[in-house]
Amino acid sequence: MAEPFIRIESIVKQYVRDTQVLTVLDGLSLSVEEGDFVALMGPSGSGKTTLLNLIAGIDKPTSGRIAVGKSEVSSMSEAALARYRSENIGFIFQLYNLVPVLTAFENVELPLLLTKMSRAQRRKQVELALSIVGLADRMDHYPRQLSGGQEQRVAIARAIATDPKVLVADEPTGDLDAKSGEEILILLERLNDEFKKTIVMVTHDPRAASRAHRLVHLDKGVLKEDIRAEGREVGLEAARSAVVS
Amino acid sequence: MKLIPLAFKNILRKKTRSILTMASIVLPLFVICILGTMIRTLEADPTGGKGMFRLIVRHKVSLANFFPEAYREPVKQMPGVAAITILNWFGGQYIDNQPRNMFQRFAVEPESFLAVADEITIVEGTAQDWTSDRRGVLVGSLLAKRYGWKIGDQFVLKGDIFPVNLELTVRAIFKAPDETSVYFNRTYVEESVPWAKGLVGTLWIKADSPDAVARLTRMIDERFENTPYPTKTETEKEFQNGFISMLGNVKLVLNAISLAIGLVILLIAANTMAMTARERVTEIAVLRTLGFPKSDILTMVLAESLILALIGGGLGLAFFSLMFPGFRQGLLESPMGGFAAGMKLFPEVLIVGFLITLAIGLAAGLVPAFRSAQREITDGLRQVA
Ligand SMILES: Nc1ncnc2c1ncn2[C@@H]1O[C@H](COP(=O)(O)OP(=O)(O)OP(=O)(O)O)[C@@H](O)[C@H]1O
Ligand SMILES: [Mg+2]
Repeated sequence: MAEPFIRIESIVKQYVRDTQVLTVLDGLSLSVEEGDFVALMGPSGSGKTTLLNLIAGIDKPTSGRIAVGKSEVSSMSEAALARYRSENIGFIFQLYNLVPVLTAFENVELPLLLTKMSRAQRRKQVELALSIVGLADRMDHYPRQLSGGQEQRVAIARAIATDPKVLVADEPTGDLDAKSGEEILILLERLNDEFKKTIVMVTHDPRAASRAHRLVHLDKGVLKEDIRAEGREVGLEAARSAVVS
Repeated sequence: MKLIPLAFKNILRKKTRSILTMASIVLPLFVICILGTMIRTLEADPTGGKGMFRLIVRHKVSLANFFPEAYREPVKQMPGVAAITILNWFGGQYIDNQPRNMFQRFAVEPESFLAVADEITIVEGTAQDWTSDRRGVLVGSLLAKRYGWKIGDQFVLKGDIFPVNLELTVRAIFKAPDETSVYFNRTYVEESVPWAKGLVGTLWIKADSPDAVARLTRMIDERFENTPYPTKTETEKEFQNGFISMLGNVKLVLNAISLAIGLVILLIAANTMAMTARERVTEIAVLRTLGFPKSDILTMVLAESLILALIGGGLGLAFFSLMFPGFRQGLLESPMGGFAAGMKLFPEVLIVGFLITLAIGLAAGLVPAFRSAQREITDGLRQVA
């Protein structure tokens, strides 16, 4: 069998505040196959966001190794990390984090400004991304003219604009009502299914987690449970039990 | 550079704040330009550079002391003296003592005067008309305009240092960098004030080379050092500067005020930039997350600060340039008329105004720009906007 796509080996992440050392991730190891859809669950403060940030290359581990595809993320320089993020990672945040002064089109175009694409190529790519999320008709709208669900879809379009291999999502439905959340989950499933994106999604919501193929449960910086779906999805029952335990 | 368009859009984000910040640059910059113009006018040489070649000899103690006219001959013989004349400050008053009727009045020796004051061009009447009339007066065209004097008109100067009322006839009108003086024959004064005979206030010398200037300054003062009337010789430029510094160091004060105003603008602009950057911590973290390097963030925040400052500064300079002619005109008709005559729209004032704007833009944006670029992405994302 080939090497897993995302390889996390005994990472430790500590924060030093004054004289106190806070160990957020404590020797955690985890592998994710290419094309997988992983839900990260766990109580608040268990280190989910921290782990996600490490995979995404916006944070560095205190020790241990992180590799994604051919990239040795944990030993990269700052500039190399910036390039790694722009080429390999799509980000989806709980609060969408669109730039308010830019239109939907311009927001999605942002990551493309870092590529060598021509204006025309960028336009094509933005239009494609926006049509995938079903908002081709809202290109010229500003974030404040969109609903939360629509904003999150624009954010997803921004995340996929450069066609990255990995999508990381930190509570993508956390700020949405059930219906909009459901739309986002369907969209993520489709990106995983149809576009073969590897997805790592942090969530508190068992219903969101139930859609993943794998459920990883963190507690106090260590891996507590790792459930693989027998069928297509892990299912609600498993997800619920993960929250309870 | 990719984020520069975003910098423009950010300025429109909080329009009121941007407009207020710009306004807080426009008005002070206008004032700085006026002060700068005043400083430049004070510094400017009213002789148009000729003052560098000219020397003024006066009594060592002060301008109010006289020395013998007999000093002229030995000085005239010194090598390097191209021309020499007598120039006496008359003082006195015209019409009344109101500031608006103040201008410079000199009793001179007409024949030699024009040889030294070679920046003077007579535009109405002739030199001959003036030198041949003992009661004739040569007036600056600005004064002629102010008082409506024509050739042949008469006016009276009431003496104070010299107790005599001079009845003068306008014989010639001149143009020169400084057109706010009148010159008449010292013989007329001497005839009426016996004690003034044979006394001079200053000798005015035109040197034939820059070398001669330095040499003569020393030679003349050494020659009269141990007499009852020691002298002090300066270039005309130094003489004027000395005159200006007598005015309570106006320049220093003007410079200090400009500096203070500049610092106030800087604080206001810096505050705005600090506020904008603080509001956008999360957004900037997102941009970095997307892969924009620190340098792009730095450039973006600096650009925003510069755009804000340059728009404000540009408006300030434009406003100043538009208002200046009216402002000068207003001053011309005031007691400061003589001063205003020397005022121009000095390009260097506009350039310095622009540089101040640039410096403010950079300085106000520097700290927020570095902070924004240096902040850890995870800290920025954690901060809930
Ligand atoms: N920059 C930091 N400095 C100090 N402590 C930090 C920092 N970042 C995170 N922590 C701490 O690390 C721990 C884990 O944080 P993390 O954000 O990964 O938790 P989480 O599992 O995502 O929680 P939540 O579900 O509330 O989002 C928390 O106790 C948090 O306070
Ligand atoms: Mg979190």
